[in-house]
Amino acid sequence: MTSPPVSSPENPLPVRSVATKVAGWIDRLGSIWVEGQLTQVSVRQGTRTAFLTLRDPAADMSLSVTCSPMLIQSSPVPVVEGARVVLYGKLSFFTGRGTISLRATEIRAIGVGELLARIERLRGMLAAEGLFDPRLKRPLPFLPRAVGLITARASAAEKDVLSVARRRWPAVRFEVRNTPVQGPSAVPGILRAIAELDEHPDVDVIVLARGGGSVEDLLPFSDEALCRAVVAARTPIVSAIGHEPDSPLSDHVADVRAATPTDAAKRVVPDAEAELALVAELRARSSAALRGWVAREARGLDALRNRPVLADPVSGLDRRGEEIAEMRRVVRRDVRRALAAESTAVDHLRARLVTLGPAATLARGYAVVQRVVPGDDPEVLRSVVDAPPGTQLRIRVADGSVTAVGMGRVAAPSTASERMDP
Amino acid sequence: MSETPVDELGYEAARDELVDVVKVLEQGGLDLDASLALWERGEALAARCEQHLAGARARVEDALAGRDDD
Repeated sequence: MTSPPVSSPENPLPVRSVATKVAGWIDRLGSIWVEGQLTQVSVRQGTRTAFLTLRDPAADMSLSVTCSPMLIQSSPVPVVEGARVVLYGKLSFFTGRGTISLRATEIRAIGVGELLARIERLRGMLAAEGLFDPRLKRPLPFLPRAVGLITARASAAEKDVLSVARRRWPAVRFEVRNTPVQGPSAVPGILRAIAELDEHPDVDVIVLARGGGSVEDLLPFSDEALCRAVVAARTPIVSAIGHEPDSPLSDHVADVRAATPTDAAKRVVPDAEAELALVAELRARSSAALRGWVAREARGLDALRNRPVLADPVSGLDRRGEEIAEMRRVVRRDVRRALAAESTAVDHLRARLVTLGPAATLARGYAVVQRVVPGDDPEVLRSVVDAPPGTQLRIRVADGSVTAVGMGRVAAPSTASERMDP
Repeated sequence: MSETPVDELGYEAARDELVDVVKVLEQGGLDLDASLALWERGEALAARCEQHLAGARARVEDALAGRDDD
């Protein structure tokens, strides 16, 4: 556009020319649509201009807005403090006071439907970025050194969180940051509080607590900047906004979603009494288990001790001794029996031999005479013819044999004569 | 005769041969010389068996008498 006018300490520009040039520059910006939240609405009776302040919902920035009171009165939606609106207007520089303001010619309120649709779009975007990923959720500490609490001053939510947490764990420490929880200053205040508590060395968990409210009231908790701050914080954050059915986006990005502020208190501190009871119960159970173990082992040891081999170590030897004695008795009996049986068998054989042989006849005095034939078995002598004098003879009697030599021979008178004298 | 001298026979051998001798004599059919010789062999075998048994009995009784002193 135009080059900056030449100025120096020796040749400063007068205010009027600066103001005129700024006004001219701003005037050239033309008309724009702006969205924000109304923080001040001042319509003085009898004036031709109404003064409004339009504030950014996330950043600590605002714009002055002026408009005709008629525009406010004829607006289809109430133009009140806290309303989210879209304004159409032209920026102008008031040279008289050196201020910039937007001269609004149209005001549109953002309806609930539009707000919910925006929240839905933001929800989709944040989900697509993965900010709701369960893997991002940090676990809550079992016993935090200090609990950061961000809530409205003297609110029911604050009272609920503090009283419930203290009842469960009397020693619990809180770092409370009171911020606006609705309206245009809520998000900047909450962002500051989150940053401060996240840096706090003792704060191990942060609770965002707010009671129930309208969609517009809960809007700060669906703010994109706030949601990103919750994700970015290193300290685990519990979102406890509104009642059960309320579901601002902070519930999704927080590490834990509590249904109510009371629920949040229950989650961030353990119930001391319940924990102590649990510890006592565990101690009782473990000592009982140990006592049971000792008793069981003692019983087992007693049982082993009472086993015959340990209770009476000699009994085993005695039993074996008895076994040996019994076996010895049996083997003695058996060997005697075997000897007796064999003796009997031999006796029988001998008895049969006696009946078969000539023993009985020999015993009566008879003898068997054999002629000894050199180089051959002896032959029974049946005739004197076979025994000339000098013949060697063997005479078998009952208890043995006699050897003899024939001295002569005499034939029997009847039968042998013709044989002797041929 | 080709038999083993009776003195060299163990108890079982002597007894078995004695059993055989008795069987042969019972069957009969031998002449007097053979049966006389067999009978004398049997007598000797029987005496050998008795000798063995007596020795065995004495050893058993000796062993038991010694052990019972323990």
